[in-house]
Amino acid sequence: MSDKMIVKATVNGEECEALVEPRTLLVHMIRESLHLTGTHIGCDTTSCGACTVLLDGKPVKSCTILAVQANGREIATVEGLETAAGLSVVQEGFKEEHGLHCGYCTPGMMMTVTALLEENPDPTEDEIRKAISGNLCRCTGYVNIIKAVQYAAGKKEGAAA
Amino acid sequence: MAAIENRTFKRQDGKDKVTGLGRYTADLQLTGMTHCKFRYADVAAGRITRIDTTKAEALPGVFAVVTHADTPDLQHGGYIQDRRLFAKEYVRFEGEIIAAVAATTPEIAQRACDLIEVDIEAMPIINDIEASLLAGSPLVHADWKDYGDSYDIVREGNDACHTSIVHGDVEAGFAAADHVVRERYVADMQHAAPIEPRAVVAEWHGDQVTIWSSTQVPFNARAGVAHTLEMPENHVRVIVPHLGGGFGGKCEFHFEAHVAAVARKAQRPAKLVFSRREEFIAPDHRREGMVIELETGVKADGTLTARRGKVIIDNGAYTADAGFFPELAGMHSIGPYRLPAVDIQAHLAYTNHQPSGSVRAPTAPQANWALESHMDELARTIGMDPLAFRQKNIVQDGDTTATGQVLDPHGAPQCLQTAAELIGYGRELPADEAIGFAIGWWPSFGSSSGAYIKFNGDGSATIITGAQECGSGAVMALPRLAANELGMQPEDFSIVYQDTESGPYDMGSSGSQTTFNNGRAVVAAAKVLRERLLEMAADKLEAAKGDIELVDGTARVKGSPEKSVDIAELAGEATGGDQLIATGSGTPPSAPEVDGSACVGRMGMDSWVAPTFFCHAAHVRVDRETGVVRVIKVAAVHDSGTIVNPIGAEGQIEGGVIMGVGQALLEGSRIGDDGRILNAGLLEYKLQTMADAPEIAVAFVGPAGTNAGPHGAKGIAEPPSVPTLAAIGNGIAAVTGARVRQLPMTPNRVWDAMNA
Repeated sequence: MSDKMIVKATVNGEECEALVEPRTLLVHMIRESLHLTGTHIGCDTTSCGACTVLLDGKPVKSCTILAVQANGREIATVEGLETAAGLSVVQEGFKEEHGLHCGYCTPGMMMTVTALLEENPDPTEDEIRKAISGNLCRCTGYVNIIKAVQYAAGKKEGAAA
Repeated sequence: MAAIENRTFKRQDGKDKVTGLGRYTADLQLTGMTHCKFRYADVAAGRITRIDTTKAEALPGVFAVVTHADTPDLQHGGYIQDRRLFAKEYVRFEGEIIAAVAATTPEIAQRACDLIEVDIEAMPIINDIEASLLAGSPLVHADWKDYGDSYDIVREGNDACHTSIVHGDVEAGFAAADHVVRERYVADMQHAAPIEPRAVVAEWHGDQVTIWSSTQVPFNARAGVAHTLEMPENHVRVIVPHLGGGFGGKCEFHFEAHVAAVARKAQRPAKLVFSRREEFIAPDHRREGMVIELETGVKADGTLTARRGKVIIDNGAYTADAGFFPELAGMHSIGPYRLPAVDIQAHLAYTNHQPSGSVRAPTAPQANWALESHMDELARTIGMDPLAFRQKNIVQDGDTTATGQVLDPHGAPQCLQTAAELIGYGRELPADEAIGFAIGWWPSFGSSSGAYIKFNGDGSATIITGAQECGSGAVMALPRLAANELGMQPEDFSIVYQDTESGPYDMGSSGSQTTFNNGRAVVAAAKVLRERLLEMAADKLEAAKGDIELVDGTARVKGSPEKSVDIAELAGEATGGDQLIATGSGTPPSAPEVDGSACVGRMGMDSWVAPTFFCHAAHVRVDRETGVVRVIKVAAVHDSGTIVNPIGAEGQIEGGVIMGVGQALLEGSRIGDDGRILNAGLLEYKLQTMADAPEIAVAFVGPAGTNAGPHGAKGIAEPPSVPTLAAIGNGIAAVTGARVRQLPMTPNRVWDAMNA
């Protein structure tokens, strides 16, 4: 017990502290210490992407990062996407375009998409496919996920114009 | 295509899922909750000579260790009662559970599992499905004769179920043929691989238990717990939080009773969450390995004369729900073709592998792949175009199938035609590209199912159903059916579901049956309320009941829309008086007559209620140097009867196609000489990514189904995972001239076939 460490990070814009063992994975800190269970676990080999969060704005798979590596950094999870103004355009896209079935991969998928659209507000279909190829979906066949991203990109562009 | 108009479809769980606030089973946290882990056999076969839990029990933080000694001494299983919750004397596959531990943390629970001392005497490992059935093979279940069974299943030793489909004179058919082509196909074991690994939480209240489980079939899970722990069903409540996919892998009763048993002993709630490795090795539901031998007679003009087939299916160590697999695989070895004589012998072979169980369209992707590859080989033998060959032999309206079922009007030929158009068959393609076709069929499953509907005082209504949702949207679309009956909007209805203590029985998210059966129940309940509303409105508007219509949330006199009353007003009055509450169930469609007099071991799969038909065409590119196959486009055309919810239906087809691409090219378990799975992880068992996914063109054709679900709807979720494999295989053969006869058709196997 004595070897526990304090991790201080900004999570969804708020300062957070968690007491964790050095071996604790970031996803476990997020789910068990911070009780943000929207970040899911589908594997433990970075294969599925259900645990994707943003670390300093970059999508990472939180099942293969130690919690202590997040010390002093900014973490964004799915719970931070909705604001007082409502759902983010990415959330809206997945909801409106039937871009989810079981929804288990959706939070990780949306975090990757959020980062993609920050970097590339108007991606081509190929760019979308490539950007999200680290997030597995077993339900949808990906067709409506692509539509969801295009919906979000369109909305974002509309808002910027 | 027949359809209920209106493409709008908003999932009621959409916001819950995009905000991350929706709860899946693994997200649940109860006061005082312990964490559960299992101790597995970790060997494929053996006799247990000692189990000692002393050290595990002494580990600080451990609350309970449970073995067979802590649960009733009985065997269970739907078809053959061949298995136990916890191994007693024998272990028969690596994922067999010997003990369960509850402890303060998952890590302590795991350490305790490791401290359980188990001595297992090695026994012969049955690692090959054909060897399993040879005379003199060691038996996986030495005492098989003593087991109880159901459904008049025909079994003998390692052959857990023998079914034959025999019609017409096969020898005469072969004699009349110009060519007889005989081939052998092998399919490796595959997995459902939902992205959510399963989880179970159990909490006792006195002698009653509440179980939250990631199950597709809560009522079956409840029955399993009640049976194995010897409790009445109303002492077991199964609740399904959001379910993170299933694809059949989460069908049936699985681990609910193990967790309930350990929670009872620990006197605390217990939570089990599977790792991805456990998700691969432990469930008694994975897609069965198969050997399929087909021998078909064909005339030079393309007429089929007869088929003889032998199918051996890997049952694994226990029978799960696989009792109907041999007959179903037999039906898929026949296919939707005019075939005057068939003799298919199908067997379910016990092995020391993980048990097989329904995974999305059990047996069909493999058997259809073998059949449709074989059909292309037949076409090649007589020099006929594969599309024309299918067009010549595909079943037509009113045809009698090989088992004697007369087919109602259907869209099978149209599926083929439309797929050819959507894929652009016949156009010039680069040398490394080609198009392959595959057609198939699949039954709808009629089953009892129930729902209630109640009106609230403000005119909104609530559907309380036993149906289960695993993501397909089928439950989410039930309000469309109720709204359609009651002149309301889908948004006027909320849904209560996935709780065995609220809705009536339903067989769950399995068998593509939610719209087909529970849709019928919802419509029946809505019709009762419709009558009540019409009566109330007739009184109020002083009109004859027959003159009232329900439109746009009002009850009004036909032709005099000004004489109307809001449904909300009627609902408000009823809430203070005779309430608007209704139940719906109804009788499932009956199975068509067939002649099975020459068959053995019939399991009810040779007669199909409201069969669906489909054709997928795959445009593929093959890299001749590496054997890597790229699927460029798939056209997927289905006769699914009436489409109740177009967006949901298309989503099922698209998801099924991608699953089919994975099954065709990547997905297969490799099994070591020790009978254990070598690639039980997503690094080694690869799923299709978005970058791999082809363009998909979906179309629905055909008339409203007869003897079918609401408005003529047929089952839809399983068929799309069936024909993509063979379409791809036929595309590969068209490019390379080489036939790959083992699934999955990996680059190595494609290369080997090309260079054989």
